[in-house]
Amino acid sequence: MKSSTLSDSILLRVPTLLRSGCVLLCLLLFLLPAACRQSDPPPLQRTELLMGTVVEITLLQSGPKAEAALRDAFAEMRRIEQLMSPQLPTSDLARLAAVPRGAEVSAETLALLRRSIELNHLSGGAFDPTLGRVKRLWDIEGDKPHVATAAELRKALRQCGVDKLRIEGNRVIKLAPKLEIDFGGIAKGYAVDRAGAVLRRAGIRHASINAGGDLLLIGDRRGRPWRIGVQDPRKPGAVLAVIAAADEAVVTSGDYERFFEVDGVRYHHLFDPATGRPSRRSRSVTVVASDAATADALATAAFILGPEAGSRLLRQQGVEGILIGADGTPLVTPGLKDRVTWR
Amino acid sequence: MALKALWRRMTPLDRMLLCGLLGFALLLCVLVFRLPGGSRLVVERDDRIIYRAPLDRDRRMRLAGPLGETLAVIENGTVRVLASPCRHKVCIGMGRISRSGEWLACVPNHLLLRIEGGRSSAEDGYDLISR
Repeated sequence: MKSSTLSDSILLRVPTLLRSGCVLLCLLLFLLPAACRQSDPPPLQRTELLMGTVVEITLLQSGPKAEAALRDAFAEMRRIEQLMSPQLPTSDLARLAAVPRGAEVSAETLALLRRSIELNHLSGGAFDPTLGRVKRLWDIEGDKPHVATAAELRKALRQCGVDKLRIEGNRVIKLAPKLEIDFGGIAKGYAVDRAGAVLRRAGIRHASINAGGDLLLIGDRRGRPWRIGVQDPRKPGAVLAVIAAADEAVVTSGDYERFFEVDGVRYHHLFDPATGRPSRRSRSVTVVASDAATADALATAAFILGPEAGSRLLRQQGVEGILIGADGTPLVTPGLKDRVTWR
Repeated sequence: MALKALWRRMTPLDRMLLCGLLGFALLLCVLVFRLPGGSRLVVERDDRIIYRAPLDRDRRMRLAGPLGETLAVIENGTVRVLASPCRHKVCIGMGRISRSGEWLACVPNHLLLRIEGGRSSAEDGYDLISR
């Protein structure tokens, strides 16, 4: 009897209870999406103009520790830029270019130079860090790009070649007075690697560093591989293929990023060290390797060599890649075939 | 049974209120989960945001940088650079952007144009692009 009275009393107050209940229910439903979204922490992302390109670092975690790591990673890339950009007069490379005999450089620049010379030998000379004079002659990234003449190229090529360099202690000796080292095919990748090392040291487990398309992936993308679109070399903004990648670097060299055209002929920035002219064997090469510096240099070398010789070089070095020939035909290294989806 | 009893004891106004609130809450859930947020252009210079604009209205923008003015346009939900005082015009050659996370940059003029919100490249099957 007592229980029935209580039940009746509650039922009499139903309209009031319902109104309050409805409001509470709706509040819960409002909060539900936010609660669900917070189960996956929002990525922490920052973009800066650095090393002549756009650098974007994305950490798939947030919080003060991640923010500090992000700041440190950018600071590390700025430090590398100060050290190795030939455009900055105080950089090691600019100082070395300005003197006829040679100069002391930092241990870090020296180590990258040694690695560049090693990659030059491994690629049969296709990757050449001494093409500064040739690049200056074409001025593709300068005020007045122009088609270099055969005589100009002969003269410039006399000031190029790793055989005209000697390393003594911390000193780089130039055997050609106007030789200019250009790390254009490796420095960006190296800076990306250094930023990656900073993030890993800070305990970051899932992140991406994108320096104008030179990518380093730390870990996977929260339980699945990163899906890396490969730029179609003839359709701006279009993706040719998607590579599944995790904890590795993906770097592309293509003839479509920096170029000028004269009478319908495209003159791009990837020069064949044998001729001093833009290489005509490829449209683009994408390399997947464990580090971005190696991927960067090998992408350049494989581009110069062309798809057949380029893919042999990639296999010899134990890295994978997609090589697009001058006629647009793609060639994929065997180890990458199962990881590529064509679009 | 209890729900039926409650429903019977509710006034018509209570019932309308309940249905309305439930419907609104469900709609909100659908909107939050399914629909992308409004796309907008964000322009940065030297790490500072200097301009924001939604992509749903066409407009022309004169963006000041150290070299001079870069002219960009929003048209049909896409952004492109029309004119720039920089040497190589790489920013013009980058074409159009329309998806969240895509960007155009004029490095010499210290300008970065990127899109936030709306459809992202992830919906097109990739997270990042190597070029």
